[in-house]
This record gives sequence, C-alpha cells and structure tokens, in this order.
Amino acid sequence: MRESLRLVVSVLVTCMVAATGLALTYAVAAPRIEEQDRLAQERSLKAVMPEADGFDAVEDEELIKVATSAAEPATLTAIYRAKRGGSEIGWAVRVSSRGYGGPMHLVIGLDTSGSVTGVSILSMNETPGLGTKVLSEKWFLAQFVGLPPGFDDQDVRALDVIAGSTRSANGIRDGVAAAGRAYDKALQGREEAANE
Amino acid sequence: MSEWLRVFRQGLGLENPLTVLMIGLCATLAVSTQLQNALFMGVAVVFVLTMSNVLISAFRRQIPDQVRIPIFIVVIASFVTIVDLVMKGYVPAVYQVLGIWIPLIVVNCIILGRAEAFAYRNPVGLSIADGLGMGAGFCLVIMLLAFIRELFGTGRIVWFDTTLISMPAGYAPPSLLLLFPGAFFVFGLMIAASRWLNERMASVRAPKGGAS
Repeated sequence: MRESLRLVVSVLVTCMVAATGLALTYAVAAPRIEEQDRLAQERSLKAVMPEADGFDAVEDEELIKVATSAAEPATLTAIYRAKRGGSEIGWAVRVSSRGYGGPMHLVIGLDTSGSVTGVSILSMNETPGLGTKVLSEKWFLAQFVGLPPGFDDQDVRALDVIAGSTRSANGIRDGVAAAGRAYDKALQGREEAANE
Repeated sequence: MSEWLRVFRQGLGLENPLTVLMIGLCATLAVSTQLQNALFMGVAVVFVLTMSNVLISAFRRQIPDQVRIPIFIVVIASFVTIVDLVMKGYVPAVYQVLGIWIPLIVVNCIILGRAEAFAYRNPVGLSIADGLGMGAGFCLVIMLLAFIRELFGTGRIVWFDTTLISMPAGYAPPSLLLLFPGAFFVFGLMIAASRWLNERMASVRAPKGGAS
C-alpha cells in the first residue's frame, strides 16, 4: 500500500511540476506568439494587395456562407475587405487547398473587378526542395497575378505547373480557382459604399 | 575530467546515436532534406537531450523504478513544448520551416534511450557529457546527411533564401535523393563510411594487432 502510494505521488508531483513550468513558459511567450501571428497575417495580406493600407475581416455570415460553398472543395477560412484611404479596393480571401503533404494555406488578393492581385502561401507542409519549389521558383506565384476579371477554372488550369512538384502546384491552382469562384458567386458587387 | 571527455566523445564516434546505435532515425530521415532545417533540429535535440538528462540524473534516486518511463516522457515532453513555445514566439522564421517537426522530438528515441540507459544510472556531470556528446553526434550526422541530400538533390545549398553553394550549371539534380528512398540510400552509405572509419581508428589505436 505504502509502495503504491509512493508511485502515484511521484508521478503526480512530476506532472504538477511540469504543468507549472509549462504554464509559466506559456505566460511569458503567449503575448509574443500572438504578436507574431498578427504580424504574419498582416504581412501575407499586404503581400497579395500591396496598395491597400488596411484590411477588415468580413463578418457578414450570409456572405461568408455563399462564398464558402462556392469555394468547395477548397476550404475558405476568411475574407477581408482591402481598404485604401477609406474606400474599398478589393478582397483578400484565405483558403486552404490540398497539396501533397497536407493542406496548403493560401491568401489570394482580388481587386474589385475580380482580377488577381497576388497569391501568397501562409503555411504548407510540402516536401522541401521539391514541393516547396512553388515558393522558391518566383515565376510560379507571379503567373497568377493579373488573371483577368471573370477568370474561371479553365483559365487557372491553363497556367504552368512545375515538374517534380505537380501536386503542390495543383494545390495552389485549386486554391486560386476557389477564390475566383467565391468572388463570382459571392463577392462581386458586394463592396461597401465608400465612407463619405 | 578524462572520464567526462570519454563519455562526450563516445556520442560523437563509437556510440554515435545515428550511425552506430541507430535510434531516432524517423525524424532524422524526414528532416534531412535541407541543411538549415537539420541544423535547427540538431540544436533543439541537443537542448532537450541535455536538459532532460540533467533533470533525470539529478532526481534518479527519487524516481521509482516502476514508473520511471512515464516520468521520463513527461519531462521530455515538457522540454519539447518549451522549445516549441519559445521558437514560435521569438524566432518565427525558424519556426516556420521547422514547426511541424519540433513535436517529433518527443518520440525521438535518442532522448528516451539516453534517459533510460545513461542518465538514470549516472551522476549529473557525466549525464551532461552524455547529452552534449550524443546531441553533437546527432547534429553532425543529420547535418552531413542533409548537406549531401540538399546539394545533390536540389543542386544547391540554400540558407534562408541565400544560395551558399551551387553545382555547376547543367547539373540535373536527381530528385530521388530528396524523397524517402534517397534518405535510406545516403544514410546506408554513411553507416558504411562511419564503420570503416571506426575500424580504422581502432586499428590505429592498437597497431600491434596485425599478423606481421
């Protein structure tokens, strides 16, 4: 009895000490982590729409619902209104699509006419040196910029992929096509009137 | 002191965790596609390994034999989570490339293996030597493996978007090296090389072993 009590207590004490240590580390690191997440988000939005000086997350649930179903099979996770000097100049759409190594989280910028202003990769889990070519070969993401208003899945599929990283490149093409569909079905003409 | 050095050097050579003991291969083969990732993985492993060795060695008389494994795991997982949180908050650039591999350190058998085989039976000083030596041996091998795979698999070595070394133009990199079979091929050759080296060093140390 005494012996088994000793075992229980020793595991319990270890766990309590470990939990306390982790809680302390977390308390110190949490604000920094939040800050870094916010910065990363801001950078990725800025990257797809350099002219914008602010982004507001869309909270209109009806709009999000329509856009989400239009984006399937990719998953739409957020929509932002891109603003410049108070007036709306376009949209930033966050989607995740399926790559080779799991989901690829992308941000796609669209101007008010529906033309693509930029694509950036928030995070991905592709094979380093192969799948990650979609990021390191700069021309690949650049070719999406300027896809014309009203572009459809066919236009996206006509763009080049990279030999050796076909499935990663397809993941990104799927994501951009999904953003295009979301724009066509939901976002087009839904800009808010400029603040007087 | 000489005992300390001997333990430290064993991790590098004769008892190298990767090429001789062959533990912790899963994470090694997965992460060794880029030199940069391999280095940070190595540093994280050295930290976790040394810290858990110290703690387990310091409390080795208090830890009951029957529940030592759960206690080791809790200690190791805590240090890994600390590394994870600190990296996320303070070096996001590194975290972005390595993030998904950090939790894998928990299941890296090197760390549990050293806790069980060494730290639980030896004093703190020697456990530090073991942690640092085994960690350094891990670093050395994973970085060499990553260097070979990255250089010959992609044709160049990239360090945070800067190309350090590149193969001559016209070199068509076989992407096989970057995939898992390539990891096994290169690693197999490295084991052969390290055995040859260890044998040679042993025969240099004892030269009168020959027939003549």
